[in-house]
Amino acid sequence: MIWALAIVPLLAGLALYALPRSAGDAAKWIGVAVSFVAFVAVLALRGAPDESVPWFSFPFVANFHAGLGQGISFWLAALLALTMTCALAVVRVPRQRGFVAQMLILLGAMMGVFISRDLLIFALFWDLQLIPVFLMLIGWSPDRRAASAWRYLVYNLAGGLALLLAVAAFGIAAQSTDVIGLPPPGGSWLANAHWSAWIFAGFAIAFLIKTPVWPLHTWMPDTYADLPPPAVAVVSAVQSKGGLYGFIAIAASVAPAPMHAIAPLMLVLGSAGLIYGAVVALVEDDAKRIVAYSSLSHLGLILIAIFSFDRVALAGAIVYIIAHGLFSAGLFLVLGEVEAREDTRLLSRLGGLGARNPRLAGGLVILALAALGLPGLAGFAGEILIISGVYRAGAIWPALLALVAVVLAAAYMLRLFQGMMQGPQISDLPQRPDMSPLEMFALAPLVVAIVWLGVNPGPVATAARDAYVSPPAIVSARP
Amino acid sequence: MNFDPSPYVALSAVIFFIGVLGVLLRRNPLIVLMSIELMFNAANLALVAFSRAWVNNAGHVFAFLVITVAAAEAAIGLAIVVAVFRRSTNVDVDEVASMRG
Amino acid sequence: MNALLISIWLLPLVGAILLWAFGPQLNRAAGVVGTFVVFFSFGLTVVLFDVARAPGGLHVALGSWVPGFDFGLLLDPLALLWALVITGIGGLIHAYAIGYMWSDKAIARFFAYMNFFVFAMLTLVLSDNFVGLLVGWGLVGLASYFLISFWFYKPSAVAAGRKAFVINVFGDIGLMLAIFVIFAQLGSLGYASVFSKVGHLSTPTLLLVCVALFVACAAKSAQVPLHTWLPDAMEGPTPVSALIHAATMVTAGVYLIARCAPIFNASPQSQELVGIIGALTALTGAILGMAQWDIKRVLAYSTMSQIGYMIMGVGVGAYEAGVLHFWTHAFFKAQLFLGAGLVIHALHDEQDLRKMGGLRRRMPFAFLAMLLGTLAIIGFPGLSGFFSKDAVIYGVLERGHPMLFGVGVLVAGLTAYYMFRMIFIAFFGTYRGELDDAAVGVTERAGSPEPEDHAVHLPDWVMQGPVAILMIGTVGAGWFAIGGTASPWYRFFGDTFGTSAASAGVSGFPELASTILVLVIVAVGFAVAYARYGSPNAMAHAVDQLRNESRTMPPILVHAFYVDDALDALFVRPARALGTFFARFVDPHVIDGGVKDLVWLASALGLVFRVLQNGLVRTYAFTLVAGAAAILVYAAWMGSR
Repeated sequence: MIWALAIVPLLAGLALYALPRSAGDAAKWIGVAVSFVAFVAVLALRGAPDESVPWFSFPFVANFHAGLGQGISFWLAALLALTMTCALAVVRVPRQRGFVAQMLILLGAMMGVFISRDLLIFALFWDLQLIPVFLMLIGWSPDRRAASAWRYLVYNLAGGLALLLAVAAFGIAAQSTDVIGLPPPGGSWLANAHWSAWIFAGFAIAFLIKTPVWPLHTWMPDTYADLPPPAVAVVSAVQSKGGLYGFIAIAASVAPAPMHAIAPLMLVLGSAGLIYGAVVALVEDDAKRIVAYSSLSHLGLILIAIFSFDRVALAGAIVYIIAHGLFSAGLFLVLGEVEAREDTRLLSRLGGLGARNPRLAGGLVILALAALGLPGLAGFAGEILIISGVYRAGAIWPALLALVAVVLAAAYMLRLFQGMMQGPQISDLPQRPDMSPLEMFALAPLVVAIVWLGVNPGPVATAARDAYVSPPAIVSARP
Repeated sequence: MNFDPSPYVALSAVIFFIGVLGVLLRRNPLIVLMSIELMFNAANLALVAFSRAWVNNAGHVFAFLVITVAAAEAAIGLAIVVAVFRRSTNVDVDEVASMRG
Repeated sequence: MNALLISIWLLPLVGAILLWAFGPQLNRAAGVVGTFVVFFSFGLTVVLFDVARAPGGLHVALGSWVPGFDFGLLLDPLALLWALVITGIGGLIHAYAIGYMWSDKAIARFFAYMNFFVFAMLTLVLSDNFVGLLVGWGLVGLASYFLISFWFYKPSAVAAGRKAFVINVFGDIGLMLAIFVIFAQLGSLGYASVFSKVGHLSTPTLLLVCVALFVACAAKSAQVPLHTWLPDAMEGPTPVSALIHAATMVTAGVYLIARCAPIFNASPQSQELVGIIGALTALTGAILGMAQWDIKRVLAYSTMSQIGYMIMGVGVGAYEAGVLHFWTHAFFKAQLFLGAGLVIHALHDEQDLRKMGGLRRRMPFAFLAMLLGTLAIIGFPGLSGFFSKDAVIYGVLERGHPMLFGVGVLVAGLTAYYMFRMIFIAFFGTYRGELDDAAVGVTERAGSPEPEDHAVHLPDWVMQGPVAILMIGTVGAGWFAIGGTASPWYRFFGDTFGTSAASAGVSGFPELASTILVLVIVAVGFAVAYARYGSPNAMAHAVDQLRNESRTMPPILVHAFYVDDALDALFVRPARALGTFFARFVDPHVIDGGVKDLVWLASALGLVFRVLQNGLVRTYAFTLVAGAAAILVYAAWMGSR
C-alpha cells in the first residue's frame, strides 16, 4: 500500500497520455483527484508498518523497502500531496494534458524519494524526479528556453551521479543498502573511516546541489523563473527539501563522523546563502526571482540548524521545512495568479493592485508575513526554534546573521507586497477580476496549515524524535 | 614425434609483419585487404604449427574458424570498396574519411 | 476567572475576524461593533481588578506551544494597568473613530485592524513568558503597519508603513537575541522562572541581555536613534496616531523595562545606559518639536520626548514614577491627538499650523481640549502631568543622576515652549486658512488629503464625547500619586518591581525645591512662547513672522538631525549595494562563471580528443598496432621478471 503512493501517481501520469490532447480540463481534475487521494492516503497510512520486496542480494542486499512512519517522511509526504493538490487546482497552461501528466509523474517520483527505505531505491527516485521537471522546462517555459532546462538537468544529474556512486560504494562496504531508518549495528555502518568520508561526500554533493546551497545555487533562479507557477510551487516547496531530508534522515545515520567534520564548512555555506539570498531578494525586479532567492536564504538557515547538532534546532528545522514548503508554494501560486492577470511579474511595472483585488492582496500579505517570520505564523515557529538551538549550541555568528536575515526578510517581503499591491494604481495595467472562489479554495488549505502550524508546531517539532530521524545518531556521534 | 615448430612460427611472424606493413603503408584498399588476408594466414600457420607440435587438434579447428571469418570479412570489405569505387574511380584509403569526428 | 482573562484577551481577536470577514455587510455598523468589543474587554478587566492585586496576580496556564516552551497569561498590577489603558482609552478612541472615519469607504477594515491591534497589545502585556511577549511584540508591529499604511494608495503612507515595520523588526531581533541568551543560559522562558534565576547570569551576560532588550524598546518606543519612524507614522488616520503612537504601542518599551525590572535591577550599567538614552530622546524630541509646522508632527515629537521621560524613569529604577507618567500621558496625549483630529476634521484635512489661527473662536471645544492637554503636558500644578513629571524628574535625581535631572528640567521648559507655540499659532490671532500658501511660508504640504464625502457627517457629540471623558483623566489621573510612597499608586504596585539598585540620592535636595525649579523653567518656556507668538504684538505680525521662520528654519532641524539619512546610508544603501553587486556581478559572472567554465572544460576536452577521430583508416590501424605492440612488450617484460 505504501508503494502505491509512489506507483499510482506515476502510472496515472502516464495513463493521462491516453486522453485526447484537447482534454486539458479533464486531465486537470483527474490530477487534482489523484493528488487529493494521495494526500488522504498519506494521512491514513501514518504509522503503518513498512513494506519490503526483495530485489537482489549480490553484490549487496537491496530491497524495494518503503515506509512512512510518523516522522519527517510522513510530514514531507503530506506536504507534497497537499501542495500538489493545491497547485493542480489552479493550473492553466497550454497543452495542459501533458503538463498535468508530468506533474503526476513528479508526484510519484518525489513520493518515492521520501518513502524509500533502501538507499539504492532512494537514489533511483532521486534521479527520476528530475525528468518531469526537465520536460516541463523544455515544453512549458516562456519562449521554450531550453537553456535553463539543460542546466537544471545536468547540474542535478551530476549530483545524482555522485549519489549513485556513493550508494554503490556504501552497499559494497556495508553489504546492504536497505538501511534508511535502521540504527547501525555496533555504532556505525562503515568501519573504514576513509570510505566513510568519500561516501558522505557523494551524498553531500547531491544534497547540496538539490537544496540548493550557496554556491551551488545558480541553476535555481532560472529554473524557478521559467517553470509555470504550479510546477514552481511544488518544486520549491518539496523538491528542494529532498536534500535537507537526506542530511537529516540519511547522512546522519549513514556517516555521522564526516558530518561532524564538515559541520564548520556547512555553517559557513549556510550563512553565506542566508545573507546572499536575502540581499539579492532586496534588489531583484522579477517577483519570482525574489521568492527564489528568499528560498536560498531560508534553506541556508535550515542547513545551519541541521549542522548545529542541537535538538531544539533540529526540531525547528523540521518545522521550518514544512513551513517553508507551505508558504513558498502559496507565494508562487499567488504570484502566478498576478502574472496571469497582468501579464507581468516585474515590480517596476506593477503597483496598486490591492485596491481592486483585495482578496489577492490578502492572500499575498498572509503568505509574505509567514515568509518573513511574523510571530504566530509557521515561519516564526521554525525560526525561533532554530535560532534558539543554534545559539545554544554555540554557533553565535550564524545565529546573529540569522537575526540580520530576519530584518532583511521583513524589508524584501514588504517591498514585494507593497510594490505589487500598494501605492497608486499603474494606469496601463488591465483591470482583471479578483480571486475566484476556486482560487481561494486552492490557497485556503495552505493558509490554514500555516496558521495552525504557527500556533501549534508541537506535532511536527516532535517528529525529530521519530526513528527515521535518529537524533541519537547525530548527537552521540560527537568525536 | 619430435616436431620443432620454431621455423614455422618464425615464418608466420615474418608474414604477419609484412601484412601489418601493408595495412599501414599502402593506400589502395584492395592491397590493404590483401594484407589483412596475409595477417590472417600468418596466424593460421602459427596455429597449425603449434597444433602439430603439441598433438592437439584444437589448433586445426581454430584455423578453420579463422579461414571462415577471413572469407566473410573479405566479402564485406570488397563490397565496401565497390561502393566507394562507384563514387570515384581513383580509390584512396586516405580519402574515405567521412567518419571523421 | 480564568475564562474572564482569556475572554479579555481573545474577544478583540474575534472582533477583528468578524469585522474583516463581514466588513462589506456591516459597513458603518462596524464602528459600533468594534467599539463595543473593546469596551466589553475593558469591563471584564475592571471586574478582575482586585484579583490582579492579589499576590502573584491571576495566572492562567494555556498549555505547551512546543515541549519545553510553556505559554500562559498573567494579570498582575503592571499588566492590569496596561490592560486598563489599552481597553479603556482604546475603547474611547474607538468610539471617537466612529465619527472620524464615518465617511471612509473602508471603515470596516479600519475597525478590524484596530481590534486586531488591541488583541496584539493585550497579547504583549498579558503573556507570562518571553515568547508570548515576542509574539505580541511582532503582532503589534504588524497592526501598526496596517494602520499607518491604511490609505495604501498614497505612496507616502506606504513608505511610512514600511519604515515603521522594518525598524520594528529590527527591535524584534533585539528581543529575540535576549530570548536566545536567556534560553541558552537559563533553559526556560517563563517570567517566574527567569526572574528567580537572574542571579545565575554573569555580569557581561546581564549587560548583553539588557542591551538586547533595550534595542527592542528603542525601536518600539521611538528612542534615539530608532525614532525616525514615529513622525512618519502620522500618515495614518488621527485615531491611529492617538491610540498606537501615543497611548499604547509606543509605551510597550516602558512596559518591557518595567516587567523585566528584576533583570535591569541586577545591572546598574544598563540602567545608566537606559537612563541616558531616555534623557537624550526627551531632549531630541523637544528640540525637534520646536521646529514643526504640522500639528500632528508637533504631537509626534512631543510623544517621543515624553516617552523619553518614561524610559528615563523606569531605566534608572524609578518604576512607579515612569509608569505613572505613562498613565497620565495616555490621557492627555490621547486628548491632544483627538483634539487635533477635531481641528483637522473641521478644517477639511488642513494640518499645517501656518494655515490655522484664531481657531479658539471657531472651535471652542477643541480649543478647550487642546489647552487642557497642553497644560497637563507641561505640568501645570494640580493636573495629572504635574504629578507624573515631577515624580520622574525627582526620582532620577533621587537615584543619583544629576545630569539626567538637569536634562529633565530643561526639557520641561522646552516642552512648555513648543506646546504653547502650537497653541498660540493655531488658536490665537486671525484665521489664515484663506491665505496663499507662499504667503505664510508653506513650501510643501504638510498633511494628507483624506478621502471624504463631505455630505455625510455625524453630530459633533459623537467625537466630542470621548474627548470630554478623557478630560476627566487628564485632570485627575495624577491624584492617585499624592502622598509619595504611601500613595494609593505606590501601594497598588507593592513590590512588583523588586528593589532597585538605587544609589544614595543627592542629599539635601528636597522634592519641593525640585518642583519649584521645574515650575520656574516651565514658566520661562511659556513666557518665551508668549513673547514670540502669543503677545498682541506678535499676533499682529503673525503672517510675516511665520513666513520668515519657515524660511530661516535651520536645515539641521528640518532634516531632524539627519538621523534618517544616516540610517539610510549605514544600513539601507549598503544592503542594496551588496544585493546589486551579488545579483549583477557575482551570481552571473563569478559563481555561474565557474559553472560555465566547467561546461567549457567539458567541450574543450571533447575538442582535444576529437583530434584522434580523423576518419583515416590507416591512423586507426596504426593505433591498433601500436597498442597491441605495447601490450606484447609489457607482457614479455612481465614474463621475464
